[in-house]
Amino acid sequence: MAPKKKEEPKPAAPAAPKPPEPERPKTPEFDPATVTLEFTPEQLEDFKDAFQLFDRTPTSEMKITYAQCGDLIRALGQNPTNAEIMYVLGKPKAEDMQTKMLDFEQFLPIYQHICKAKNRGTFEDFVEGLRVFDKEGNGTVMGAELRHVLATLGEKMREDEVEQLMQNQEDANGCINYEAFVKYIMAS
Amino acid sequence: MPGATSVRLRHLCLQPAPYISAIRAAVLIQRWYRQYVARTEMRRRYTWHIFQSNTSFFTLLPLSFHSFITSSATSWTISHRPAQNVRNLISHIFRENDVCWDSEWERYFCYKNIEVPEVYSGPHLTFPLTVEQAVGLLEAFRNKKQQLHSRYVLELLLETWKLLRMLPNINRISTCHSKEVTICGDLHGQLEDLLLIFYKNGTPSLEKPYVFNGDFVDRGKDSIEILLILFSFMLVYPCDVYLNRGNHEDHIINLRYGFTKEVLTKYKIHGKRILKLLQKIFSWLPLATIIDQKVLVLHGGISDTTDLSVLTKVNRHNVRNFYVSLNLDLSTAFTFTLCSVAGPVCFSAAASEEEGPHLFLVIKSLFVCLQILDLLWSDPMNQDGCMPNEVRGGGCYWGPDVTEDFLNRHNMQLIIRSHECKQEGYEFCHNRKVLTLFSASNYYDVGSNRGAYVKLGPDLVPYMVQYQASSMTRELTARQSVGRTERSALKVLREQLFAHKSDLLCAFKKFDTKNTGLVSLIDWASAVESVMHLNLPWRMLRCQLVTCKTSDGMIDYYDWFNELAIKGPNTDSLLETLYRHRSTLETIFRIVDTDNSGFISMEDFRQTWKLLSVYLKMEITDEDISNLAETIDSNHDGSIDIDEFMEAFRLTDKKSRLERGRSMFMGTTSDLTKLESDPNV
Repeated sequence: MAPKKKEEPKPAAPAAPKPPEPERPKTPEFDPATVTLEFTPEQLEDFKDAFQLFDRTPTSEMKITYAQCGDLIRALGQNPTNAEIMYVLGKPKAEDMQTKMLDFEQFLPIYQHICKAKNRGTFEDFVEGLRVFDKEGNGTVMGAELRHVLATLGEKMREDEVEQLMQNQEDANGCINYEAFVKYIMAS
Repeated sequence: MPGATSVRLRHLCLQPAPYISAIRAAVLIQRWYRQYVARTEMRRRYTWHIFQSNTSFFTLLPLSFHSFITSSATSWTISHRPAQNVRNLISHIFRENDVCWDSEWERYFCYKNIEVPEVYSGPHLTFPLTVEQAVGLLEAFRNKKQQLHSRYVLELLLETWKLLRMLPNINRISTCHSKEVTICGDLHGQLEDLLLIFYKNGTPSLEKPYVFNGDFVDRGKDSIEILLILFSFMLVYPCDVYLNRGNHEDHIINLRYGFTKEVLTKYKIHGKRILKLLQKIFSWLPLATIIDQKVLVLHGGISDTTDLSVLTKVNRHNVRNFYVSLNLDLSTAFTFTLCSVAGPVCFSAAASEEEGPHLFLVIKSLFVCLQILDLLWSDPMNQDGCMPNEVRGGGCYWGPDVTEDFLNRHNMQLIIRSHECKQEGYEFCHNRKVLTLFSASNYYDVGSNRGAYVKLGPDLVPYMVQYQASSMTRELTARQSVGRTERSALKVLREQLFAHKSDLLCAFKKFDTKNTGLVSLIDWASAVESVMHLNLPWRMLRCQLVTCKTSDGMIDYYDWFNELAIKGPNTDSLLETLYRHRSTLETIFRIVDTDNSGFISMEDFRQTWKLLSVYLKMEITDEDISNLAETIDSNHDGSIDIDEFMEAFRLTDKKSRLERGRSMFMGTTSDLTKLESDPNV
């Protein structure tokens, strides 16, 4: 068994094929200085707690790595794509993800930007998309097909991630009722 | 199947709209999945914090209490002894290589008259032990879940005792012949983890030396099996299996954390004898191991006074008996009491003209006791310096500068220690000069942490292997496993909060000056932290802990207490306090029950309450005690069944009702399988 020396959860695989995201700006470079912060003091306290939980520096300096930034944003309740995260981080190189750090002040405009993005992904959108794979039009898709899709399309997931997501979702015939599946995913 | 899908996708390419929506759906699912993973990670982290803080705060028996008990017990029979006894005592501690065979003990531990019945289907051992027998023992425990007969247990332990007495205080081994040494941390009675290590890494042999770094027993349910396996491999390969003593290899700690109970339950007839022999064995376990003169392996850690040359010379099996309570009399005399837990040996040395030199010797022995405590109990910290470890009540917290200094002085490069649970099974600190290693996976609850072991070759570069024992985790999905752990942590936390109701009420009132019964969320978090001192992310936990809330974001704290009460224990204040300290109470009972019979007399019972009330600085009147005693001694025969008494407590806790027959001795986060369907949890 290979030694695991990393302590942070790994960020998912990078570079997505062009997702049709309405928010994706055509202008280059994200500039944090242009973001006005609109959080209440209460919210800031909440964020601080969460930030601290992710802070793994030995002396608790209130800093997190770039790699953790995406996780923190998601943990706080947003769900950006990996591409969006890379954008607000200034499209860092792969090796920078574990080494470059952010402090709380630098994190806030990044998070604010993500928060402002329109909330996409309703229940219907999901179901609509999955219906494409519903051969028989009976409300189910083949588990194997869904796994394949998640691992090859969009912002690809790793095999173990797919496995974790789909664990215990398939019935005896290997089929998944996708409405139920989507409800399950959205009920985190 | 994948082939078919690609064909489908290519087919879909001809119809762009469905393809795009398929990608969109995929991206949506992936985004949500990643959010779910991040939130799960968050929950895992704060659950971890809860467990860590809970251990130190509540369920640990501090050494200060330990010494309080022993010094009080013996101070009832205190008497001034002349200096001669002091001299004898000191020379007793520093006597070198004492290998006298104590024939009295041999008679007591004799196993020869123990018959093994025909119907016994477990392993039969013959000595000297062979590797086939050691492996056979492993198999018997793993597959057939058998118990080794007490006759063989005693025989095995006696052989172990003989071997250990030959060993020095500090083992020195080398990785010559390109042998890699495998080092394991705390096991805490979790047999599954030991089996997993042997499965992944191979059993000990001439080519595969092992060092086990203490804390083999307590908390888990198979402590005795682990010991038997480790000892048997040590007997077969005495030059390739090394055991270091941990702070749990101590009979007083075992009373508290479950090992004593385990042995008495599994070996109803000979349990007491086995425990007595184990007491001796524990005292003879070496204190540390040094690899290639460069890597120090020991259970707890070091302090700024740790001196290996001193530690090499002491009589380790005697010194461990002494817990020190220091009374500084600020008048002319400088008095202190050295109390023995093993028996009522008690004396005090007062500084006077003629006793000066003896005083020096006593101070020196004190110094040694403290040094050994440091080795077994200390924890590293991030700041420089060295300070007493108040959380554990013994040993110290030591900083990176102390590590640096120590390693330079002894010309070493790495300290490997255990003693603290780590989420990944291991953790480096002090600029990678200290490695903490923990081998009991799922320690707090299913899914809480990984275990790890270390392999060290001649290059002395540590190579970590992680694992997680999975017989329970396999049955749960990842989501369920995190959910369970989180639920049990929160339950424990709610109990804690409820047990501190009076203090919390005070704190809330300070913020609620107008006495409205409401506090804001920010104030709630500050108040709770100021009382509990657990350094937890209260704001994050708030939605789990407080479900009642007024519409403008204020919390009605009386409502909140009511909410906790439904899930928490009895509201009566005496019982509230006792409930909080129930594990301590049980420990005291077992200490008082010196012959391990499970019964204590009414008089001892009263004395126990008195002791507890002094320690807790609480008022418990004689009347309260008498009333309690009346209720407990149901058959009025003047003695109290400890188990029955503790059972009475458990009746107030719904969780234990469900687990009748299981011990709460293991702390508050034991196996919660049966609670899966409990709506109140």
